[in-house]
This record gives sequence, C-alpha cells and structure tokens, in this order.
Amino acid sequence: MVNAAYRFLRSLPTWALWAIVFLWSLPTLGILVNGLRPRDGQRSTGWWTVLGDERGLTLENYRTVVEASSTTNLFDAMLNTFAVTIPATVIPIAIAAFAAYAFAWIDFPGRKGLFIATVSLLAIPLQVALIPLLQLYVSGAHLTLPILNKTITLIPDLDLAGTTTAVWLTHAGFALPFAIFLLHNYLSQLPGDLFEAARIDGADHFTIFWRLVLPLSVPVLAAFGIFQFLWTWNDFLIANTMAGSNPDALVMTIRIANLAGDFGRNEHLLPAAAFVQVAVPLAVFFGLQRHFVRGLLAGSVKG
Amino acid sequence: MSKHRMLRFFSVLFAVALIASACGNDSSGGDDAAPSDAAPGDEAPSDEAPSELAGTTVTVTGPERDESEANAIQIALDIFADANDMTITYTGDADWEANINTQIEGGNPPDISIFPQPGKLADFARDGSVVPLSDAAAAATAANWTEAWTVFGNVDGVQYGVPVKTDLKSLVWYQPDRFAANGYEVPTTFDDLLALTDQMIADGNTPWCVGIESGQATGWTFTDWVEDLMLRTAGAEVYDQWVSHEIPFNDSRVVDAMTTVLDLWNTEGAVFASGGSIAATAFQDNGEPLVAGDCMMHRQASFYAAFFPDGTAFADGSEGAVDVFYFPSIKGDSPVLGAGTLAAGFNDNPATMAVLEYFSTPEYAEARQVAQTEGKDGGLSGFLSAAIGQDTSVYQPLEQSFLEILANAEVVRFDASDLMPADVGAGTFWTEGTSAVNGDITAQEAADAIEASWPS
Amino acid sequence: MDKVLSTLISVGVTVALSLALWVGANVLFDQARNNWRRFNAVAGAVVGFVLLSILHGNRLLVAVGPGPDAVGTLAAFVWPAALGAATFGSTAWYLSGVDGPRHRLIAGIATGTVVGVVVGALLRSAYRPGFDLAALAIWTAALSGLGALISTRRGRPAVHGALVGAALGSLLGGFGSAELGAGNMVGAIAGATFPAAAFGARIGLTNNADERGRARIDSGSRAYIFLVPSLFFITAALVVPTIRTIYLSFLDDRSENWVGIGNYTDVFTSKTSFDISNWPDIFTSRLFYLGTAMLIAGLAVAISTKKRDGRAVELGGPSIAPLAIAAGLLVFATFSVLRGTIMNNLWWVFTVTVVSTALGLAIAVLADNTRFESVAKALIFMPMAISLVGASIIWRFMFIARDSSKNQTGVLNSAWVGLGRLSTGRGIPTLLASVALGIVFLALAVKVARLLTTGKLTSLPIPMFALFLVGWAWVRFVGLVGDGLGGVVISSDGEVIAKPVLFVQEQPFNSVWLMLILIWIQTGFAMVILSAAIKAVPAELLEAAQVDGATESQVFWRVVLPQIATTIGVVVTTLIVLVMKVFDIVKVVTNGNFGTDVLANDFFAQAFQFANRGRGAALAVILFLSVLPVMYFNIRKMQQEDT
Repeated sequence: MVNAAYRFLRSLPTWALWAIVFLWSLPTLGILVNGLRPRDGQRSTGWWTVLGDERGLTLENYRTVVEASSTTNLFDAMLNTFAVTIPATVIPIAIAAFAAYAFAWIDFPGRKGLFIATVSLLAIPLQVALIPLLQLYVSGAHLTLPILNKTITLIPDLDLAGTTTAVWLTHAGFALPFAIFLLHNYLSQLPGDLFEAARIDGADHFTIFWRLVLPLSVPVLAAFGIFQFLWTWNDFLIANTMAGSNPDALVMTIRIANLAGDFGRNEHLLPAAAFVQVAVPLAVFFGLQRHFVRGLLAGSVKG
Repeated sequence: MSKHRMLRFFSVLFAVALIASACGNDSSGGDDAAPSDAAPGDEAPSDEAPSELAGTTVTVTGPERDESEANAIQIALDIFADANDMTITYTGDADWEANINTQIEGGNPPDISIFPQPGKLADFARDGSVVPLSDAAAAATAANWTEAWTVFGNVDGVQYGVPVKTDLKSLVWYQPDRFAANGYEVPTTFDDLLALTDQMIADGNTPWCVGIESGQATGWTFTDWVEDLMLRTAGAEVYDQWVSHEIPFNDSRVVDAMTTVLDLWNTEGAVFASGGSIAATAFQDNGEPLVAGDCMMHRQASFYAAFFPDGTAFADGSEGAVDVFYFPSIKGDSPVLGAGTLAAGFNDNPATMAVLEYFSTPEYAEARQVAQTEGKDGGLSGFLSAAIGQDTSVYQPLEQSFLEILANAEVVRFDASDLMPADVGAGTFWTEGTSAVNGDITAQEAADAIEASWPS
Repeated sequence: MDKVLSTLISVGVTVALSLALWVGANVLFDQARNNWRRFNAVAGAVVGFVLLSILHGNRLLVAVGPGPDAVGTLAAFVWPAALGAATFGSTAWYLSGVDGPRHRLIAGIATGTVVGVVVGALLRSAYRPGFDLAALAIWTAALSGLGALISTRRGRPAVHGALVGAALGSLLGGFGSAELGAGNMVGAIAGATFPAAAFGARIGLTNNADERGRARIDSGSRAYIFLVPSLFFITAALVVPTIRTIYLSFLDDRSENWVGIGNYTDVFTSKTSFDISNWPDIFTSRLFYLGTAMLIAGLAVAISTKKRDGRAVELGGPSIAPLAIAAGLLVFATFSVLRGTIMNNLWWVFTVTVVSTALGLAIAVLADNTRFESVAKALIFMPMAISLVGASIIWRFMFIARDSSKNQTGVLNSAWVGLGRLSTGRGIPTLLASVALGIVFLALAVKVARLLTTGKLTSLPIPMFALFLVGWAWVRFVGLVGDGLGGVVISSDGEVIAKPVLFVQEQPFNSVWLMLILIWIQTGFAMVILSAAIKAVPAELLEAAQVDGATESQVFWRVVLPQIATTIGVVVTTLIVLVMKVFDIVKVVTNGNFGTDVLANDFFAQAFQFANRGRGAALAVILFLSVLPVMYFNIRKMQQEDT
C-alpha cells in the first residue's frame, strides 16, 4: 500500500509540486499585495480583489515605513542590525567549529559527558538567561565568597548594557549548543583515515583543523551560517531586552514593532514593514541559494 | 603529568586573578544605578542648581511608540532639553510591560519611565526601584494637577509619579446625523440608554459595535465596560474596595456588573462584531462600521478618535461627523472612568528630577498636544491632559468637550485593571473576561477564577 | 558615514581580534614542542600582561609611567600591563633555561620574590592589608596541609602541594580575611611576596619538561584551546542562568522564602497547565471513531501480512499507512479533549514535528531532479527567512474573519465561504462541481470493488478511507446532509448566510491553526536538510538496487530511507526542541487566550509580566526537563553508532 503511495507520489506530475509551492507562497503574496494598498482598502476587501479595486496601489505605506522619524531612522537601524548579525553569525560558527572538532576528533578525558551536557543545553528556553545576562552586561560578574565575605570580580563591568555588542554576545552564547550539535554531527562523519594519515605525517590538530577539516566542512558551516543569520536578523526579544532603551542601538525588528504603534493603531503599515524587514534576508537567501544548495551537495560526497 | 601541570598552572593563575580582583571590587556592593555614560570620577556634585543641567543626558522609555505620539513626546521634551543644554531621549518600547521588569531586575532601568498602570508603579515604588519625587518635583506636581489625578502616583503617602496624560473612558461615540435621521435622542440616564438600545433593535438597527481583540491585551475593552458599570451600579466606594481587594473579586456586585455587560452584548441583535464575534473583533476595527452605519454607538475612550477611517470629521456639524456623549450614570452622580500615564524616575539625579518636574507642567502638555496635532495633520491628536492652567486653545472643540466632562465630573476613578496587580489587571481579568465573552465560561466562573489568581 | 565606518571598524576588529587570539593560542602552544624557551617566554608574558591588567583594571595598582592618575586612559592602562608582561616573560624565559633542581629552586624563589615585590610596591594604599595574623596562620596552615594531602594521594612529594597550598592560603589569609587599607607598604610587599615566592619555589621544584613532556603540553592543551571559547560563552549564557533558574524555582514569587517543590505542585495542580477532566468527550469525537476504524483495519492488515510474509509491520509494507493514519487521528482526538499548557505543548510537538518532517521529505522527493527544482525549493524555504513574529502577523491576515454582511478579507475564510456559496448555489458551476466530486467518488468505489473482487484485501484500508472522506464531502456538497459544504448556513427563510470560521477563537482546533504557522516555516528547514541527504545517497547503492530488480518505491524504502535515517533523526530532534519552546506565535496571535496557551508563553507572562519569579522559573525548568529525554535518546543513538 505504501509502495503504491510512493509510486503515486513519484508519478504525480510536477503540477502537484507547484500546487504546494503556490499554497506555500500564498501568505507572502497576500502580504506583498496588501503592503501596496491603502489602509481603507486593506480593511474592507481581500487583497486578491486588488485588480478591480478603484483605490488602486500606493507606495505610501512603504514611504511611511522608510521615512518614519519618531524612532531610529531606517538606515541606522539597518546598520545596527548588521553590527549585530555579522559577529553573531561569524563568531559562533568559528568557535562552535573548534568545539565540534574537539568533541569529534580529539581524545580528552570527560569528552562524552561534556558533549552530552553541552547538547542538552539546547533545551534551555533562552528567556531564562535574559536577566542574568543583562546583569552581566550592566555590572559584570561578581561572586561573594561565603566565609571571607569578600566579593570577587569574575568579569568586570565592561559597560556593555544597551550596546549592539551585548546583543550579539547573547546571540553567540545561545547559538552554540545547536551549532555544536549540528557541526559535530557532520564533522564526526568525515573520513577518519584521512586525519590519521595526516597525524602520521606529523600534522598537529591545529593544522588538521585548518587545512583539512575547515575546507571539508564549508557546506555545513554555510548552512548553519544562513540559519543563524536569519535568526539573529529576525530576533526581537534579545535585542529589545539588551538594547531596547538605547535609541542609538535599535535594530530593524524593534523599529518596525514601534512603527506598528500601541493598540495596533498602524496595523496597515505592517505588510510594508514586514517586507522591508525581510528584504535583506531574502536577498541573501536568493543570492547565496545556489552556493547554499551546492554547498550541501558538495558535503554529501563524504564517504 | 604535563597535562595536569598545564591544568594546575591555569587553575593557580585563575585563583590568583580572582583573589587579585577580589580586593579591588569596592563598588559592586553599592547600588550602582546611576546612568553609565559618565566616566567614573567625573560625576558632577549633586547640589548644583538646575541651570547647570548642561551636558547631562536623561533617558525616558514608555509604551507609547506610535509615530505621532513618540515624536510629540520627543518634541515636547526637546523644548526643555534645548533650554537647559541637555539631552533627553524618549524611546517607545514595543514590549514595555515585560521589558521594564527585565531591565529593573537586570540593573539597567532607564532614568525615567512612563507607566500606563499605577498598579505597576506602586509595585516598583514599594520594592525601591522607583524613587520618590524630589521636593521641587512633588511641589510642582501638586500645583499643576488636582488631587484626583496626583493620587494615582502616590504610594503610601509618598509622591512617586507625575501624571503626564489623561484618558477619558466613559464616552460613547455616535453619529448625530444618524441619530437625528432615526429620531433618537442622546440618552441622559442609564435606563434611557438601555431603552434606546431596545428601540434600535426594534427598528432593525444594530445599536452597538463591540470588539475586544487587542493582540496581547485582548480583553481590556471588556474590563473597561465592567469598570464603568461598577462605578455606576455599585458606586465609587465599592469600586475602591474592589480595586484594593477589600471585597473579593467574585463579590456579587462585581459578578452583577459583569453579567449586565454580557447580557447586553449577548442580546440578539444588540452587537455588530465586524470580526464575526466580539472576541474575534479587533478593538480598532469598530470605527469603520460606526461610520458605515453598521452600528449606532461605540463605547470607547477619548483616544479612539485616531481609529476612525481617514477623513472622518469630528463634531463639526458636517454630514457624517462623529461625536461623543457621556456614558450616562445611574444614580445621577456622573462618575467618570479615566486612565492615563504617570512618569516616575529610577534615580534621584538632579537632571532626572528636573525632567520629571517638567513633565508635570502645563507647558509640557501644551507642547505635546501641539506637536501631536501637527503629527495628525491637524486631526484629533488622541492626547489629552488634565493639567491645570493649560491654554485650552491648543485643543480642538471635541477635545475641549472632553476636558469639560473631566472638569464637571464629581467622581473620577482610574481604570481598575490598571490599578490591580499585574497578575489580575493585565492577566486574568483580561483572559478570563475574554473566555466569558467568548461564551466558554459564565461570569460567575470568570470572577471565581480571577479571585483565585489574586496574589496573596 | 561616520556611523557606517565606526560600525564596520568595530565589527571587523571584534571578529579579527577573536580569531587572532585563538590562532595565537594555537601558534603559541605549537612552540612548546620545538621552541621551549620561546614558548615559556611568550606564555609568561601573556600571563603577566593579563594578571597585571586585571589588577590594574580593578584599580588595585597605583598608576605607573607618564600621564595623570586616570585608569581610563590607554597609556595608564598599558604601562602596568607591559611591566607585568616584561617581568613575567623574562622570568619564565630564564626559568625554562635553567636546569638542575637546586638552580631552579633558587631561581624560582628569586623570581617569585621579584614579582611579589613589584606588585606589592605598586599596590594602592587603600588595598594594603592590615594583617590578621591568626587568620593568616590558620589559612596558610590549613591550605598547605590540604595541598600536601592531595599531593601525597597522587603519589607526589608532599612539599609540592604544600607550597601551592601555602601560596593560596597566605593570599586568602593575607588579603581575603584582612581589613584592606589598614596596612602599610611593607605589609603589602610582604603579603604579595610570600605567596609569589612560594609559588616560584613550587615551579622551581619541578624539572624542566623533557621532550615528551613538551610534546604532551602541545597536544594535551589542544582540546582545551578548542573548547574554551565555547565553554566560556555557554557558561555565561546558559549554564549560570540555568542554575539560577533552578534555584529560583524553589523560592516564592518574590524570591524571598524557600518553598520547596511548592511551585511545581502549583503548576501540576493548576487547571491552566494540566486539565484532563474532559477526557470522556473523546467519545463524542468523530476523529476518534475514524481513528479507531483505521486502527482496526491496520491491525487486520498487519495480522494477515504476518501470516503471509512473517512480518506484521515493515517499512513500505501495507500495514504502515493505515496504522500511521490511525495513530495520527487518535492522537489528535486525544489532544483535542485535553486542556492546559502542558498538553498543548505536547500537541504542538507531535503535530509540527510529524507534519513538517513528513511534508519536507515528500517535497524533497517530489522536487528531486525536476525542472526548476531550486526555484520550487527556494519558495518553500522562503518562510524561514521571515521571523516568527512576522509570520504570525502574516497569518493573522490569513485567519481574519469578518461579519457575514461584509466581504471576507482573509484568504482562508474567503475560500471557505466561497465553497459554501458554491455548494448552495443553483448555477452551472455548482452542478459541475457536484458531478466532478461524484466522478471521483465513483472512481474510488470502482477501485475498492476491484480490490475486493481480486482479493487484495491488504491494500483496502486507504482507498476505503478516501472513499469515505470523498463520499462525506459529496453528500454534504449536494445538500443531502446539512446546509452545504463550506462556510454558510441557511436561515429559516431559506437565505444563504456566510458563516466564517473563527480560526483563532474556536476551540479546540484553534491550536492547530497556530501550529500551521510553524509548519509553514519549518517545512522548508526539513526539506532543505532532507533533500541534501537524499542527494548524498551514493549512486552505486541505488544502481545496485536497481540492478537487483527493485522497484523505484522499494529503492526508496529499502535503500534511501535507511541511508537518511540519521539526518531524519537530526531534523526531528531539532524540531522537537524548537517546537517545545514555541513562544512567539502564541504570544502574537492569541497571547494564550482561547485555550491555546503553551509553557513558554505562560513562563514569559509569569516571569516577566507578572514578576512571579518562582512560578515562572518552575515552568522553565519543566520545559527544560521535558526535552531531556529526547536529548538522551539522541545521544544514546549517537553513541551506539560510534561503537
């Protein structure tokens, strides 16, 4: 029976695929059209009636979204977002690759236990860390010794509160368990004999990592990089908690949430705002898409 | 062996570093809430005159983040900042209710925040996060506002908050034209209102537009109705007891008020809900149907002007203009349900207190009103202030009538849900109320559940 | 432009500096094997630089060098650090060149003393300790005793541990338990010199590392160099907050009193999180009876294939599909009558994980090697680029319902009401649609009849299921039962009135509509990863199977699926963890109203909006614990693969 189901699935003409694709794109299409319609139009008729709608199309919503001045201007907000997303993508990839390599290929005592502990942290809802991390950025980390009654400074106050640095540091921390999980999965399947041969030739771990592992794992690094970029680009919670009250450090998502206004007053701006917000990730995605898929393919040639 | 030596080497180094830093930390015990942009060592002496606010920076946050609102607040603050050569930044926070808690616990509050809920302000005042007003700021607040409003910023006899904005909630929006065409009179008693409702249904008109959906705050419209009813049926005294939990939430008078509202809403033909049901209708989606004639009346606060379709005329006698009447009283005591925002400071820096003092003045209110009206291209601003001594000419006719209702009110009470603990006022009162409106539970069940959730 | 430049610079410097530090550490430890003295010199300099920087950064030291006594300036900061680097670096360089125990001991003590004197002399007067001699003696004696004990147990000379213990003890006793600022410079120098000299002596007692030792330092340090950056971030961002949360969960809402497991019992006895009192309602659920029927059919098939082939259930076998459908229907029926955040969470996990993975796999297979594959996949993947909040807003527009007298502005309701109007209409389109449905029904009936007559009973359940569904739709559509198929009702005077679905408000399936949002997003994720895995299946395997005469579907079930099982595991695990923590969608669309609340949203409301820290922390811990079994199984599986 399932064989039949599979045969049926395989024999479906391409239009079945395109039907799914159409359904999947429908919500986005709707929002794209509505972003170009005036407020009263959005509220009274469905977006698919746009062709017969005498209210017509307008760029007014986009103009408002781009030019709004009550909050950080669009250009600065975009800069701030880049200042968050680039380090928040590059740094976790790098250090997670180090750790994944260590977990996969360096033998050291407590390796398994440490790995299990690290990956288990995937399950932590990131909200639990907001207050402790904010405290860390505001005043550093201090530990009061119980008997001596002296306070030890573990990390000094680096004056990070309300900066984009605080935001990306937080992202970097939260990204690591998943990054290590994903990269370890991939790295541990790389051909071990290759490394063994290199070891016999006298290469140390650093050389192996730099010369062999990194080039071989470009696809998975790219894949994780794209996910991480999208997540950090779209994040609202962390950016708002860590830098929400500093107008100089506001990111795009916060700016857009502010535009919507309290009580949904400007809900008609949301479709346009959503498209402005998503423009860069979409450009990145479609621009890199070929590399992305090819990268994953290249990775598949592994033994 | 050597590996262990490496480890030991690092651990000893670490220990040395710890101990070294242990001796150095002399400030971590203290309450270091001062704004962090001043480098250590160059803090200004605190006994300087206000004229020397020059160079200071004050950060203000609040939930108002609409383009016109946030701009108007910033413009009004800039007037003061420019006069004193200082910097004041206002940031609207899209998740203010949660974020202010996080920031306080994380030790990073702004200098000033604008509170829509006196209950929350009181909580923060009691745990010491919010500081009392300086004598000068408290005096200015007392001089510029009547006690009816300053009392909401007063916690256990100490003034913490400065009223900065006033909302008038006991209002019903309607179209005089349509009333005239159908021969309806503006009701002056609650019985008249109920009779008018019945009359409209009998005529085949739908009397009310109601919608309580409001994203994360879904249900607040229902609580407003219940509060207005409580003020009218049970009186201000019982209302105060209800707010302070001297009577339980499931007291029969509260349940009666809830039942009255639900019965009215559930009357066949009484409500037009543009979203298919009351709970599914966004509260901002009631302006259009009122203008379109789908319903005759909509009970909503003074700021609702901003939610009517573009180009709607207000109280200017033109065709299709929208006006308001006072949600009538039962006992003839004209109680008014109000709401508003209060500003309070998280530190007692002279600059912070000076800005709070400015917040209380009619000059601030006028500046904001002018800026906000401009932001609406001359329409109704949605802003209102009950500060004493304002030049009322900055307000439009309809807004002036709001001020008049406020001035004539014998009894003013703040929105109860904003005074109650957040668990209830921004929690179960909304959610259980929404369930009752949705028909999932009865008024009694909702009241019982809310009572059970009241923090002990 | 200033802002662009400064942003660019700060981002670039951060990234470059972090990488340089790490590569530097690697290069440094590379030196240990071949260039022992250089390694020591650089390592010593780094240690000195960091140590003096810490001391100075904490404003422990008087400013040295030119410039005013301001900690903030770079010059004032660099001077002591440079001094530290020079002292420590030269000391280490010198020590690493000295051989022979006596020389090393003397050199160690001497250099330790120099370091101690320098630090002690530079110490600010406010930190000069007023010694409490008793405490000093007790601490020093106690820790050196402890150190000696540890050394002995490890089979090394007791004096090694004793010296380290004495160094630490004298620091703790001298500075830790003393009143700071009460002493003079002599005391400060003495207090700093003794521990430094003791520590120097300890280093002097060991021989210079030999060739093997150096190699070990080189290789042994590597795991830590590779791990330390991650561990640092993870500790700060996750471990410490988790421990704090667990601690808070045992305190009351103001974090003042210990309440034991009170918060947990509150959660589990509260109806908002756990309510199974409605379970008898399952017997009124149509899903339940449909599911039971499929279950019986599936079991019957399984028994008959067991008799025939000896295997009741196998991948690609005939019993899988009916059993899977039965399981899905029964689980849905069960969750639709259970209430509370915990039950909702489980429902979310089940639905989103299963549907996203299955659909992602199906699309990956469908799209494989078709024209425009990449375009199709890009469009499916596109929702991943939209934030959860953005997606929720988009779907709110999809879900909009409007009063029956108005146009429906939401796509879903517009289609649903349109279907209703079609089915209650009187025109040609209605007729055509009824005929088309009828043809499908008849075709299925013929198929079922043929299966019955040819005795292929094991293939019967799915066509029967389809026949039943189509038949039901047909009967509704032509109006034999009810008011037509779709969002309409017929009033008493025969008027057709639109009856839109209140997707967000109508319980219990409003939760499912919210899940649809996450499915919309996550299917792309599953598809991309599974598609890559499918393409990674070695071509030789596929060819070999085809040569053996396997059909295409057999190839899929017997070759492809086992090959990508690990990847499916990764996808499923990732999805479970992600869905368990679902938050934004519920917060934006319903904020937990209408019975849709989930753990993470409840936790956020309790902890951040209502400041009920104890209750919130308990919810977070429950969330964490509930994902642990998944992680456990995953890791068990991984370990089994390793061995």
